[in-house]
Amino acid sequence: MRRREFLARSGAGLLTLSPALSRLRPRSTAAWLLVPMDDAQTDHLKAYGLAFRLLERGGRGEWFLNYRNGSFLLPSDGATARDAALNGVATEPLDDAQVVRIRGDIQGGNMDAVPLEKAPKVAVYAPPNAAPWDDAVTMVLNYAGIRFEKVWDPEVLGTKLRTYDWLHLHHEDFTGQYSKFFLNYAGAPWLVDMVDRNRAMARQLRYPSVPAEKRAVAVAIAEYVERGGFLFAMCTATETLDLALAADGVDIAAAYADGTPMDPDASSRMRWNEALAFQNAQLELSPTIPVYSDIDGHQVNSPERRQPLGSFTLFNFSAKIDPVATMLVQNHRQVIPDFYGLTTSFTRSRLKPSVTVLADEPGAPWVKYIHGEHGQGTWTFFGGHDPEDPQHQIGDVPTDLSLHPHSPGYRLILNNVLFPAAKKKELKT
Amino acid sequence: MIRWAAPLALLLACLGPGTLHAQDAAMSRAFELERQGNYAGAAAAYRTVLAARPASAAALLGLERVLLPLDRPTDILPQVRAALAAAPADPPVYGVALRAWAAADEPDSMRAVAERWAAKVPGDEAPFREWGAAALARRDRAGAVAAYRRGREELHRPDALAAELAQVAVADGDYRGALGEWLAAVRSLPGYRGIAVSTLAQAPDSLRPDLLTQLGHERDFTAIQLEANLRTRWGDPLGGLRRLESALPAEGPAATEALHDFLAQLRTAPGRDARAAQGRALELIAGRSAPSEQARFRLEAARAYTQAGDRNAAHRMLVGIADDRSAPASVSAGASSTLVQVLIGEGKLDDAVRRLAEHQAAMPADEYAGLRRRLVLGYIGAGNLSRAESVLGADSTVDGLALGGRIRLYQGDLAGAVQRFEAAGPFAGDRDEATERTALLALLQPIETDTLPELGAALLRLARGDTAAAIAGLDRVAATLPPAHGAAEIRLLAGRLAGAAARPADAERLLRAAAVPGAPGPAPAAELALADLLLQQKRPADAVAQLEHLILTYPGSALVPQARRRLDEARGAVPRT
Repeated sequence: MRRREFLARSGAGLLTLSPALSRLRPRSTAAWLLVPMDDAQTDHLKAYGLAFRLLERGGRGEWFLNYRNGSFLLPSDGATARDAALNGVATEPLDDAQVVRIRGDIQGGNMDAVPLEKAPKVAVYAPPNAAPWDDAVTMVLNYAGIRFEKVWDPEVLGTKLRTYDWLHLHHEDFTGQYSKFFLNYAGAPWLVDMVDRNRAMARQLRYPSVPAEKRAVAVAIAEYVERGGFLFAMCTATETLDLALAADGVDIAAAYADGTPMDPDASSRMRWNEALAFQNAQLELSPTIPVYSDIDGHQVNSPERRQPLGSFTLFNFSAKIDPVATMLVQNHRQVIPDFYGLTTSFTRSRLKPSVTVLADEPGAPWVKYIHGEHGQGTWTFFGGHDPEDPQHQIGDVPTDLSLHPHSPGYRLILNNVLFPAAKKKELKT
Repeated sequence: MIRWAAPLALLLACLGPGTLHAQDAAMSRAFELERQGNYAGAAAAYRTVLAARPASAAALLGLERVLLPLDRPTDILPQVRAALAAAPADPPVYGVALRAWAAADEPDSMRAVAERWAAKVPGDEAPFREWGAAALARRDRAGAVAAYRRGREELHRPDALAAELAQVAVADGDYRGALGEWLAAVRSLPGYRGIAVSTLAQAPDSLRPDLLTQLGHERDFTAIQLEANLRTRWGDPLGGLRRLESALPAEGPAATEALHDFLAQLRTAPGRDARAAQGRALELIAGRSAPSEQARFRLEAARAYTQAGDRNAAHRMLVGIADDRSAPASVSAGASSTLVQVLIGEGKLDDAVRRLAEHQAAMPADEYAGLRRRLVLGYIGAGNLSRAESVLGADSTVDGLALGGRIRLYQGDLAGAVQRFEAAGPFAGDRDEATERTALLALLQPIETDTLPELGAALLRLARGDTAAAIAGLDRVAATLPPAHGAAEIRLLAGRLAGAAARPADAERLLRAAAVPGAPGPAPAAELALADLLLQQKRPADAVAQLEHLILTYPGSALVPQARRRLDEARGAVPRT
């Protein structure tokens, strides 16, 4: 980069550093762009991409927690304005005086301004042949224009995982039982491919079986969080990750997966202290029922136990005292229709006492959205498969998010992506 | 004994009606509770009736119904035992008993009940059919097959329970086995043919040749009919018809019935081959029909052949009908109308005019006007605008005005065309025609001159299907006009035509020439069309740049949402639709 160009860029960067520095910037009628996140927003999901790309360009912004449902304050530079126009994201130009007034409002209410400083490096855990449209997080990252890379077992068990700030897991079965579809979908080409691929990977990595290899992956992921990584998991990855972690020395896999039947006393022999979120669950012993345990409250694949879908409600937190929890629940809707997944929800009685519940279904014995810390890092679990496909079935047409630009369920996912970009404060949650 | 008989009869006469009335009331109450969804209450009411009348089939069936939603189907077993003791020959009781034992997962008891029932009704399939159905209800297909096979053995009939075995075979994906069973079932009872065809039609593509070979080895007409129907379902209606025709009896109602049955299959089959097969089947029916009915079938055959594009066959069918004074008037008029359409399709426009004039009196006015307009379109297609104008005459209907506008346009009289298009309004013709007319108006309105023969000639070439000449003509006309006064619109049209004609270089040149700031109306549309073209050419980076330019340059354009959608697709942000 030429010196003159560098000076120009770094000067512009300095001017956007913080509101306090804005005094240095020449007065103009629109120094800032407010990205409203209430019903004035034309594309809630792409708004997150707008903020993310600003950070990628080296810019900085602020996240106004609880102000107009979690709006963003971004510098009104040409690149950001262009990006907003191209993506159909509504912005409102603000001058410095208007920003000062907003800060006053924020100071006086249950709101806070969190600086956004650095675009997190995002990894999605998925096998190399994973369909791009069968994972809600992959879909919404693509739609919002947030860059990510895929990792799988070799990267997790190697050293590459450490290079990422944020890791997402979706419908992987960390118990190594192929989502327990092995018997019911025997012969289906996608399942044959999944089994072959996982067995080959276990052999390549010198593990005796797929369940053994997947448990090693789960342990590596837990260590990644312990070292300070941000973990976000949905669907069956939530439940099976914890089951795999707690199954230390316990055979919880059916015979088709590792050649030996499941330990009939597995439930009593689990080491829940090694799990992130759950404890004292009862495991499903039948290899033909695609259910793992009573952690999932909805049991969608067990017709006798399946619970109907309701709605879940996001909790309110104190923005100034609990900024992390507040960030994770920023939304323009408080009540959101529920959606099924292989793991849809989390039975309240199976949660560890340290878990923060972010959303639940009032009156139901399950919760939907939970968060916790592990070592230096944090994890967030969100039940269900696809917020805009409540009854998702294998083979369904992919969800087209341009038809759901205001999806409150998908917004929760994106809160998680941006959360690591926030400047760390002393967290009280 | 005799001394007791009179008082007993008296007692029954006194008590009987009251007791029966009470039981009817109990049944009514049970039904009402069931209707209200109070299944527990209904179950208790049905049990009360059964306590008094253990063999009451209505109460037993009612109890069975309400125990299902209560998820307690086996609770009926005591009442079933009592009913079997009270009415050992009552079929509904056995049916309920089989289902109850199935719910209790007691296959031995199911077999015992079925055997007991079969002993009461020798030669009847029902005990084994119900036994199999009860097994199927608990998803025990192997148990169901065993029950059906046992029935076949007991009844000493190789075709017994064939339909049931066929359906289980289909559920198991055993289409070869299903075909054998369905053949036996249809031979025994032809009414099964419909369900046999619809279930066998679901066979995977890979199995179909084998099934047709299996059918080809059969010699009887039932098998051939089944093969013909399956070939039709699997997209080969002409093959199906050939197979059927080869085996049709020379005369008699069986042949006509088979052809009608085949026609019923064809009516829902799409495509030209299906229409051609329909025409041939109708022709065969006509040949086997009474003289009074022949004309009607030949007319229907002609229509089907016309839809199939086989004008010679249609002509062959129609010869004689239109002029046949013995044919019913409706048939004769229909034949004339179809014949005119055939002649227009063949390009024999003058013959069509003569035919139309001859039969005008026998035709409904709407039909006549419609055919006349088709003739006008025929003359336009032939490039004979003056003849088109004379055939159209002074037609002042909205459809006539729309056609008149087209003739004026192709003659280069832009002002006359616009006037007629505006007068025709948005309701002339079908939706596509109305949309096309609106697009033509949008093309013409920025042009300031009243006459432009070169533009008319270029559009006429387009109407006649000469796209290459039309593009060249439009390009030449555009060069003579300012961008804001028609040139951009004309280039946009030419660019779209070049894109559709697989001439991407010309399309790109024309669309870029149309996307000029001096013509803000068509420019966004030209940029969007250009981006689509670039995407088709696998140049996503160029397409993205074009779409970004469109969105940023024309943020108020109605095409911006569409451009954003394309941008998402080009970037892989949404699945392609």
